[in-house]
Amino acid sequence: MYCVKCGVRLQDGVNRCPLCNTPVWNPEQPEAEHGYSDHYPGAHKESNRPFSVAMTVISVMAIAVILTVCFRLYGELNWGGYAIGGIGLLYVVAVLPNWFRHPPIEVFVPVDHAAAALYVLFICLKTGGNWFMSFAFPVILVSCLLITATACLLKHVRGGRLFILGGFLLGLGGFTVLIEFFAHLAFGVPMFLWSVYSLIVFAAAGSFLLLAGTVPSLREALERRFFF
Amino acid sequence: MPDKQKKWYRLDTAALIFPAIARRNWSNAFRVSATLTEAIDPDILQRAVDDMRHRFPSFFVTLRKGFFWYYLEQSDLPVKVREDYAYPLTFMSRRELLQNCLRVLYYKNRIAVECFHSVTDGRGGSVFLCNLTARYLEMKYGISVPKEGLLRNLTEPPSEEELEDSFLKNAAEVASGRREERSFRLRGTPEPDGFRTLTTGIVDTQSLLDTAHRFKVTVTALLAAVMVESVIRMQNGRLPRKRQHAAKVTIPVDLRRLFGSGTLRNFSLVLNVGVDPRYGEYSLEELCCAVYHQLCAFATRQNMAGMIAANVQPQQLVALRLAPVLIKNLAMDFVYRRIGEGGGSLNISNITGLPLPQIMSDYVKRMEFIIGPQRSYPNNCSVLSYGGKTYINMIRSIRESELERRFFSRLVELGIPVEIECNRRS
Repeated sequence: MYCVKCGVRLQDGVNRCPLCNTPVWNPEQPEAEHGYSDHYPGAHKESNRPFSVAMTVISVMAIAVILTVCFRLYGELNWGGYAIGGIGLLYVVAVLPNWFRHPPIEVFVPVDHAAAALYVLFICLKTGGNWFMSFAFPVILVSCLLITATACLLKHVRGGRLFILGGFLLGLGGFTVLIEFFAHLAFGVPMFLWSVYSLIVFAAAGSFLLLAGTVPSLREALERRFFF
Repeated sequence: MPDKQKKWYRLDTAALIFPAIARRNWSNAFRVSATLTEAIDPDILQRAVDDMRHRFPSFFVTLRKGFFWYYLEQSDLPVKVREDYAYPLTFMSRRELLQNCLRVLYYKNRIAVECFHSVTDGRGGSVFLCNLTARYLEMKYGISVPKEGLLRNLTEPPSEEELEDSFLKNAAEVASGRREERSFRLRGTPEPDGFRTLTTGIVDTQSLLDTAHRFKVTVTALLAAVMVESVIRMQNGRLPRKRQHAAKVTIPVDLRRLFGSGTLRNFSLVLNVGVDPRYGEYSLEELCCAVYHQLCAFATRQNMAGMIAANVQPQQLVALRLAPVLIKNLAMDFVYRRIGEGGGSLNISNITGLPLPQIMSDYVKRMEFIIGPQRSYPNNCSVLSYGGKTYINMIRSIRESELERRFFSRLVELGIPVEIECNRRS
C-alpha cells in the first residue's frame, strides 16, 4: 500500500501512515509484522540513596564528635549548639529532599524556612536577645512566602517564566526594603540606608524581564543569547 | 603467575565529553544491527559474544570515574544477550555503564549491538557487529567465513593500532576556530516515558545514486541538502524570514580514511553544513551545490587536523589536567552547551562501505545503523547501505513527525521510491 498523501510505500498491515497520519484503507489488509517487541524497559530513575545514607552518617558522626569535644572540654554544650544547629539546618536543606523520589518543592521550601527559623530562634535564646519575633520571624516568613510562591508558579504554570522571574525580582527588591524596615523597628537603625539601592537594582532587572516577556523580538534575542 | 590486574584504557579525545554530558534520562549511544534470514538462536549468540572478548577487549569495558578523568576498565561481567525492547536505544544508566558499556540484543531474525559512544564510534561498532555476526554464522551453520575486509581472526590478540587514540597522533600544531552560528532548533512534545520513535525509509541504493549524480553530488550531500530544505520549510511555517536561524545539519566524518588509521576507538569529527535562509530562497540544486562544496572544502585532512588540535590542546593544559573530574564535568558541560550541538539542527550519519564476504551475504539480508537523539535536539538521522538498499533511519524523542514527513515526501517527489517502516505505538 502507498500513502495517498506522502506517496511513500507503507508496511503491510498498518492502519495509518506513520509520517502524516493519513488513514490507510485496504479491505484485504494482512496482519502487520512488527519490527520491535512489546517489551518496555523498566523505570530508570537513579537512586540518591547512597548519597543520602553517606551524608546522614557523616552528619551523625560530626554531631557526635562535637558533643564529645564540648562536654570533654567545657562540661557543657558551649559553642557546640551553634555547630549542631548549622549541621541540622544543612541536612534539612541539602540532604532531606534526596530521601524522596520526587521531593515536592511546595513542601520543602517552607520546611527549609521552618528549620532556619528554629535555628535562628535558638541563637536568639542562646545569646539572650529579644529580636526573634520583631525581626527574624517576619523576615523569614516573607522570604518563605516569596520563594514558595515563585517556585510553585514555575512548577505548575506553563510558560510566562519571564513574568514570574520578573515578579520575583520586583518582590525581592521590596523584600530588601522590608528587611530594613523590620531592622528599624527591632534595632532602631535608620531607614533607607541601603535598601533603596538594592530596590533600584532589583526593580530595574525585574522590569526588564517583564518588558522582555511582552516584546517578542527582545525575548527571542535573549533566548538566542542564553539558550542551553 | 597470571596477571590479575584489570586492563584499563584512557578515554580517547572524542570520548571524554560523553560521560560529562550524560544526564539522568539521556546518554549518547548508537546501535548497529544485522537481520538474518532465520530466527536468532540466543544460546549460540551468547557463545558468539563470549568469543569476541579476547579479540575486542576495548568493547567489554565499564565506565569508571577516576579523580581527574573518567576511564574504561575491563569488565569481568558477561555481556548477557537479551531480547530487544519496544524501541531502540533505551536509556543506558550510570548503573548499567558501571557493569558494561555494550548491549547485545536479539529480536526474531535481528542481532543488534548498542554501544555507549565513549567506547567507539559507528565505524568501530560496525566492525564489531560484522565479526559477531560472522562468528554466529560459523557456530550456527558450520560455515567458514574468510577473514578479509572488516573481519578479524578471533584467535589473534588486538593490534596496538586498534586500541590507540588516533586523535593524539594526528593533531595539527595550530587549532582551528570553533565558533559556529546557531542553527534552527527543532522542538516538539517530548514522549513522557522516553519512547524513541524510529521511522525507517528503505530506498533503492541505485535510485538514490542516480538522483545524486543528477545533481552532481554524493549521496550524503543529497540527503543533507534534502534535510536542510526540510528544516528551512519547517522554519518558514514558524518564523518570518529575517528572524530565522541558519539551517544546518551535522555530518560526522570518519577520519580513518583521511589519516590511514585502523583504530577501533572513536575517530570521527563532525562538520556543520547548510545555508542561512535569511539571505533568500534556495532551490534544491543550490542547496546540493552548497552542501557538497562545503563538505569538499572542509572535510580535508588539513582542516580536520586543525579541528582535532582544537579538541586535543585544551586537554593538554596542565591546569585542566589537574582539575578534579567534577570540575572538568562542569567545564565540559558548559562548553558543550555553548558549542556542542548548536551548530546543526540534527545529525546525518552515513556509514559507507560494509563489504561482507559472499558466504555471509547469503545469510544477512539487512544491516542498519541508528544513532539516538542528541541531548538538546530531538531528531537524528543515520544511513547505511547494504545489499542494494539504503536504510535511512530517522529517530525522534518527540511525538511530531513533521520532519520525517517533509524529508521522505521530498525524496518521493524527486522520483526515489521510499518504503516506510515505523515502530510507532498503536
